[in-house]
Amino acid sequence: MNAKVISIYAADTSGVCSALYELGGMTVVHDASGCNSTYATHDEPRWYDRKSMIYISALTEADAVMGNDSKFIRDVAKAAGELSPKFIAICGSPMPAMTGFDYSAAAEEIERETGLTTFFVDTNGTHSYLQGAEGAFLNIAKLFCREGKEKQANSVNIIGATPLDFSVNTSVSSIKKWLLDNGFSVQSCFAMDSSLDEISTAPQAAVSLVISSDGIAVAKYLFDTYGVPYVVGVPVGKSFSKKLSADLKRAVSEGVCINSCGEKAVENAHMIVAGESVFASSLGAELGAKTVATVGIRNSEVLSGTDIFCEEEAELEKLFSQHKTVIADPLFRPICKVASFVSLPHVAFSGRCFLKDIPDLIDKDVSKKLNL
Amino acid sequence: MIKIAVYGKGGIGKSTVTGNLAAAFASLGKRVIQIGCDPKADSTINLLGGEPVMPVMNYLREHDDEPESIEEISKEGYGGVLCIETGGPTPGLGCAGRGIITTFSLLEDLKLFEKYKPDVVLYDVLGDVVCGGFAAPIREGYASKVLIVTSGEKMALYAANNINSAVKNFADRSYAKVRGIVMNRRNVEDEEEKVRAFAESAGLDIVADIPRSDDIIRCEDKGMTVIEGEPDCQAAKCFLKLAQTLMQEDNDD
Repeated sequence: MNAKVISIYAADTSGVCSALYELGGMTVVHDASGCNSTYATHDEPRWYDRKSMIYISALTEADAVMGNDSKFIRDVAKAAGELSPKFIAICGSPMPAMTGFDYSAAAEEIERETGLTTFFVDTNGTHSYLQGAEGAFLNIAKLFCREGKEKQANSVNIIGATPLDFSVNTSVSSIKKWLLDNGFSVQSCFAMDSSLDEISTAPQAAVSLVISSDGIAVAKYLFDTYGVPYVVGVPVGKSFSKKLSADLKRAVSEGVCINSCGEKAVENAHMIVAGESVFASSLGAELGAKTVATVGIRNSEVLSGTDIFCEEEAELEKLFSQHKTVIADPLFRPICKVASFVSLPHVAFSGRCFLKDIPDLIDKDVSKKLNL
Repeated sequence: MIKIAVYGKGGIGKSTVTGNLAAAFASLGKRVIQIGCDPKADSTINLLGGEPVMPVMNYLREHDDEPESIEEISKEGYGGVLCIETGGPTPGLGCAGRGIITTFSLLEDLKLFEKYKPDVVLYDVLGDVVCGGFAAPIREGYASKVLIVTSGEKMALYAANNINSAVKNFADRSYAKVRGIVMNRRNVEDEEEKVRAFAESAGLDIVADIPRSDDIIRCEDKGMTVIEGEPDCQAAKCFLKLAQTLMQEDNDD
């Protein structure tokens, strides 16, 4: 995102840490000491209530210059020996990216030394949290998902749940409740309130529900490898959640993948919703509002022909000025000078600043919740 | 797929060897990509009639954005060889090693190998394996074999030894292995003995013996390889023989 005034989205490294937080693995970020507070506290609302093995390698200037890969490998292997994690994930920051640290080779050496499943997620701290989370989810799916004996009728994988997109309010549990209310069961949730064992059974699900851009790659993998179709959309509001439920049922019966939030045509709307592609597009569908995706998937896998992808501050400001109402994270407010602004905080954009103000919009009357 | 990285002391003739080898593979009917990994960006010039391709780093500098297609940063040369140059940062600034990694990652994003489906990929790498960036061509997924170009000159042999040791350091990783030495003769005294002595001490084969040749110089003045300009000369025959040897080995693998 090109920004002078507004904030920017959390980086890929935070996405990896967030996606893997609850799965019992050890996540090691190859970075200078002190940076853990960015990934694991500022961008991580679970830090104070829930333990997780997230570490920083404490990379020094000398290590970077001298290429002390063996120190990193030895430290990770030693810590893993003491902690016995279910897996080891390594990822990186700008400094090792500049020196060309070979994560693939390091992961291979760590796995050989520890006997623990080890993978790397290709991050360098300059991409969005969604890319990091996507890589983490995809590795988990490829390394741990196994085909079970039989498919579970009407069971659903929820894919793309992280606090960066859904906070730690009741949103994710509301999605689970909404599924149960509509005759489905929950097979797995990538990756909140779901164990690694549950996630490993994802291929047995009847369908996957993709609730963020970072879930698309895993959903495609489960479809291509195990034939589990997927539906894209967040069940926000009363009307869109009804459509989403119907689409899930159709996906199960016909075995087809459906981009529910992208099946809309919004022209001349007075209202515009900005945010992560899947969430913003879903909310736009519910409210009949224009969608401007500011991070995430930018094509027809999620967006409709009338949705826009934009990450340029100046263009966003112009776009906002063409609408009467803007719904977005409060840190977009400074570039919303004309329209009336409706605050909808997003952890990936404003961190924990507005945590208590993030509403649960799942299967709720959105207009009422947002005081529209 | 044959994937080879060519290393050697600066000025020893790596680009001459790589360009001629690429042309030799192409003349034997292979689909070839040559990637120059040197800020000088002159690796492929003799495949392109002296008309250079836009290096990737130059593109990034001029457009302040990544290219959207392979065509924007490549050019087809003699025998259909697809020529790519990483180029480098503004001289004296930035990081050339990182430039190689950035280029490789970009080529991966553009799905170069999936789209072009080459039989042979040649990486022509600047000098020594000096840092992570210059080791990138020998990492898993890139080159699987390394050819070290050397003459009988002391400093060329010194560099060859350094390169061989550096590659050996990665024995625990799935990196490329040194296949052998290309002796590029400079007509120094006892040249063959010196190179053979080094090869023997390092446990390496001499896979090609390229004569000092005016044909090469004449062809390069015209922006050509000897495979194109003087296909019947002795040097051209040496490059063809090396290409055939490597093809045979690939078939045996």
